[in-house]
Amino acid sequence: MTDATSEFFARLARPSSPPPLGNVTGTIRIDLDQGKATEHWLLTVAKGNISVSNKNVKADAVVHTDTELFDRMVRGEANAMASLLRGLMTVEGDPEIVVVFQRLFPGPPNARFRRATATNEGRLA
Amino acid sequence: MSDNLVNVLDGNTFVVSDNRGDVEASPADTTGLFSFDTRFLSKWVLTIDGHRLNPLSVDDLQYFETRFFLVPGTGTIYVNATLSVIRQRAVGHGFHEELTILNHDDQPVDLSVRIDAGSDFADLFEIKDATGKKGKYYHRTDKQHLLLGYERETFRRETTISSSAPAQFDEGGLSFSLHIDPHGSWTTDLDVVTALLGWGEKHDKPKYAREGRSARPNMHRSLEKWLDDAPSIVTDWEPLKVTYRRSLVDLAALRFSPPVAGGASLPAAGLPWFMTIFGRDSILTSLQALPFVPELAAATIRALSAWQGSRVDDFRDEDPGRIVHEMRYGETAAFEEQPHSPYYGNADATPLFVVLLDEYERWSGDIKLVRDHEAQARAALNWIDEYADLQGNGYVSYQRRNEETGLENQCWKDSWDSISYRDGRLPGFPRATCELQGYAYDAKIRGARLARTVWKDPDYADRLEKQAADLKRRFNRDFWVENGQYYALALDSDGSQVDALSSNNGHLLWSGIVDKTKAKAVMRNLMGPRLFSGWGVRTLAEGESRFNPIGYHTGAVWPFDNAFIAWGLRRYGFKAEAARIAAGILDAADFFDGRLPEAFAGYERGYTKYPVEYPTACSPQAWSTGTPLLLLRTMLGLEPVGEQLLVDPTLPTAIGHLALLDIPGRWGAVDAFGRGRVVADTTTKLRPQLSATGDDKPTRRR
Repeated sequence: MTDATSEFFARLARPSSPPPLGNVTGTIRIDLDQGKATEHWLLTVAKGNISVSNKNVKADAVVHTDTELFDRMVRGEANAMASLLRGLMTVEGDPEIVVVFQRLFPGPPNARFRRATATNEGRLA
Repeated sequence: MSDNLVNVLDGNTFVVSDNRGDVEASPADTTGLFSFDTRFLSKWVLTIDGHRLNPLSVDDLQYFETRFFLVPGTGTIYVNATLSVIRQRAVGHGFHEELTILNHDDQPVDLSVRIDAGSDFADLFEIKDATGKKGKYYHRTDKQHLLLGYERETFRRETTISSSAPAQFDEGGLSFSLHIDPHGSWTTDLDVVTALLGWGEKHDKPKYAREGRSARPNMHRSLEKWLDDAPSIVTDWEPLKVTYRRSLVDLAALRFSPPVAGGASLPAAGLPWFMTIFGRDSILTSLQALPFVPELAAATIRALSAWQGSRVDDFRDEDPGRIVHEMRYGETAAFEEQPHSPYYGNADATPLFVVLLDEYERWSGDIKLVRDHEAQARAALNWIDEYADLQGNGYVSYQRRNEETGLENQCWKDSWDSISYRDGRLPGFPRATCELQGYAYDAKIRGARLARTVWKDPDYADRLEKQAADLKRRFNRDFWVENGQYYALALDSDGSQVDALSSNNGHLLWSGIVDKTKAKAVMRNLMGPRLFSGWGVRTLAEGESRFNPIGYHTGAVWPFDNAFIAWGLRRYGFKAEAARIAAGILDAADFFDGRLPEAFAGYERGYTKYPVEYPTACSPQAWSTGTPLLLLRTMLGLEPVGEQLLVDPTLPTAIGHLALLDIPGRWGAVDAFGRGRVVADTTTKLRPQLSATGDDKPTRRR
C-alpha cells in the first residue's frame, strides 16, 4: 500500500458537497498488484455517498492494474482511460461506473490553464 | 463512397465490403471489418478454383445482416452458371457468415474454395492519414482457427477466424476441398470474432451465430415499434410522408448504446465513421427529435453526464464541468497520439447540455432526471463563467491548449477558414463566436428556470437571470454591426468585430439573446438574397470575401443549421419566414429521397434547379436526419406551455393539411393540425414543389 493511493481513498471516504460521484449507486473493486501480492480497495457508492474498505468481494466492476500505475493516476501523471485502452489496466463488469470513477483522478500536474482574470493577462501561461 | 460498397452495422461494429461481400483494403481505403475504431479485417476475399465471383444481387435483411447472391463467371453480363454461391453475413462482435454453394448440374463437381484473410489493425485516424504501424503483427493457426493479432506494448487487438466445416488454415486464410453431388449443396458457418484486450470486450462467438438465431433481435419488429411509438403523420403533401419516415428509420439506425448509457440508446453523429459520442451532435439531434422520440434526450443527458469533464487537462482540452466533444477507442487514442480519450475541445456543448436538460423537462415533465442531474448542470453553468471566459471580458471564447492535435475552431463551423472578416482576414485567438454567447445566455435563462422550479434554489435562479440580462445587454452593444444591421460572426482577441454576415444570426434568434428591436433587421438579413439561396440560409453570405457556394462552412447550406434558424424565426414571431425555410429544406429533402445530406451547395435555387450535394463521407448524418423533425415542429408551431402543448401552425402553401397524431409529452399524447394558407399552383413547375407561403416572391435570375 502506498501513501499516495491510501490518501486518495481516504479523501474519497470523507463527506463532501457536492458528492464527487454525483448520485451514482454501485460497487467497484480495485485490485492492485504489488510484486506477488494484490491489495483490494472496495468502493461502495450509495446515491453518491462513498464508503471504502479493503474487502475482496464481488463488485459491479473490477479494475485490475498495479500499484505503480495507480499511483501515477492518483498523481495525475497517467490517464486512466488511455491506460484502459492500452491494456495497462483492465476492467470487468459495468464500464459505466468505471468511467464515472476515473473522473476522480486529478489532471496532469503541469496543466497550463489559469482562471480568467479581469485583465487580459495570464489566461494561458 | 462508391455505389457498390455495402455497410452492415451493429453499434460501433461495421463491415464495409464490395457487392460480392469481399474486402480488399489498401492502407488509405475504407473497406473492412471495423469495431471500436479499429479495422479487424482488411482482407476477406472469396475465390472458387482461383476465380473471384460475380454478384447477382444483394439483400439487406436486417440493419446488421446482408445476403450476397453470387455466381462464378468470366465477367460477361450473362453467365449460364451451374453453381450458385450465397454469403449471408450478420455483424456483431465481429461477424458470422454462412457460406453456401449450390450445384445445379446433373454432374458432381469438385471445387477448391479459398478465403484470403488478413488484417492491418489500422486505427480509423490512420486510415484518414495512412501512417505506418508502430507495433508487431502475429498469427497462430491450428486445425480449427486462424488468429490474427497486433501488439504494441500491452495494447493488443485480435481477430479469430473459425469454420464449422473442416478447413485448412494457414496464415493467409483458409481453404476447403469440396465434392458436391448433382443438385447438392455445401455450407459452412464462418465466425470472425474481434477482441479488445483490457476493455471488457472478450467474446468467444459472434453475436448472431446460427445456433443463437432465436435470440436475434427482430429488427423488423423493433423498427415497426419505433415507428409506431413516434407520432403519425397525415398530410396531402406526399413527399413529406416519405421524408418523415426516412428520418425516423435513419434515426433508428443512428442509435447506439455506449457503455455509459445504462443500456439506453442515443444518437451518434453519423454512419459509419462517427458511431461514437459527439457532445454537440448528440445534443442537437436530441433537441430536434424531442417531440417525436424524447427518450433520445434522456439517454444523451445520462451519457454526457458520465463523461463530463472533472479536471484541467491541456492535452484533452478538458476542464471541470465541460461536456465531452468526442470519444474514440483506437490505437492512436490509447497511446495519446490523438486526444480522444475522450477529447473535450468544444465551446458549445456545455451550455447546450443545459438547454437540452431544460427543453427535455418542458416536454416530458421528467423532474426526476433534472433533479438527478443538478450537480452536472451546475458544473456546466459554472464552466461558462469560470473556464470559458478566457479573456475575462464576460464572453465565452475558445483557444485550444493542445496545439498539436486539438481543434482550432471549437464551434460547429470547425473548418480552418470558417470564421473570417468581411475582407477575408482570419481573427486571432481566443475567438468569441456570436452563437456561443447566445447559447450561454439561453443556458443561464433555462438554468434559472430549473433552479427555481426543480432545484428550489431561488437565489441561484436570480443570480443566473441577472447574469443573463447583463450578457444580453453587453452582447447587443458589442456584437451589433451597425452598418449591416446584423450581429458580427465573432469578437477577435483584441475585441474588434469579426464583421462577416453569417447564418449564426439565426442561432442567435433561437437563443433569445437578440433584442426585440433588432430582430426584424436580423430576419431581413437571413431571408435576404445574400444569405437565403431559395433552398435555405447559407453559412456565409454572398459578397463576403471568403464566400464560396461550395465552401463547407463558407457558403454551403446546412439543413440542420436551417432547422435551428427556423426555430429562431418562430421564437421572434416570424412564422411565414420560418415556413419559407421549411419549404426550401423539405423540397431539397425530396430531391434526396427524404434523406438530407450534411450540406449542399449554396447556389441560388433558380440557377441549379436542384440542390447540389456537398461530397461527404457520412450518410445518414444525425443532425440532418433530425432536421425534418424540427421543421415539422416549427411549421406546426409546437410549444410546451405548462402542462399543455400549444399548436400555432403556419404552413407552406402546397401543404393543404398536415396533422401529427399522438405527440408524446407531459400531456400524455395530443394531436396537432394545420392547414396551408394558399392552395399551391404546381402546373408551371417541372415537378411539384413547396412554394413557401403566399407572400413568396420569385427568386432572382442570373
